[in-house]
Amino acid sequence: MTARFDELIHPSTRLAITALLAAADWVEFAYIRDELELSDSALSKQLSTLEAAGYVALERQLNGRRHRLRARLTPAGRSAFDGHVEALRQIIDSG
Amino acid sequence: MESHPVSPAEARTALDAVRRERKRVLDEVGLPAWYWWGLAIGWIVLGVIADLEHPWLTTAATLVFGAVHSTVAPRVVSGRNRTSQLSVRAELAGRHTAALVLGGLVALAGVTVVAALLLDADGARHPATIASVFVAVLILLGGPQLLLRSRAAG
Repeated sequence: MTARFDELIHPSTRLAITALLAAADWVEFAYIRDELELSDSALSKQLSTLEAAGYVALERQLNGRRHRLRARLTPAGRSAFDGHVEALRQIIDSG
Repeated sequence: MESHPVSPAEARTALDAVRRERKRVLDEVGLPAWYWWGLAIGWIVLGVIADLEHPWLTTAATLVFGAVHSTVAPRVVSGRNRTSQLSVRAELAGRHTAALVLGGLVALAGVTVVAALLLDADGARHPATIASVFVAVLILLGGPQLLLRSRAAG
């Protein structure tokens, strides 16, 4: 894994979101919002930023009569996240 | 001297946050509550049917139970979909969850038979029913706990 510090991922909220998504195939919007204690608008904004970077894919699923929004890391997002984690490890090791 | 975008202390804090979120997802590994309830109820129904002492009915019920379980289990027994709000990645959920659950079922079948034989020898009127209720309680109390313990040890 090539270490690459990613300025887009590093801010604490986006790091938490990507770390959550990295451990899962997909996660529902409501789960991320509730677990990270974010407002709908704050989470939407962060997910939009990650989506615009090509790191996150958003899918609308029809469940009964309700639409549910799922987020998943794209391969590019997973690669960026892994590279960022490796960069953090290297910073710690060199400190 | 090499310069980093963040200090080692900040990097450590960030890595701690990553671990915390990973653990949050890992804590979701398990089987849904309806699986354990369905298993426990099915077990009792089988016990009651066995006490009716119609071998063909017991055989048919066992086959139906097995068929239903083998249809349902592959969807949930991996432990990745305890909640409908996320799907845990396969490499995190591990392969041992399915083996643990299926191995547990075989062991519980053995416990049920042994308990029913002991109760029968003791003169109980409905040995299979009593044994299956006992095992159903074990399923409800022990199933989720077993997975929690295996996760903590893993």
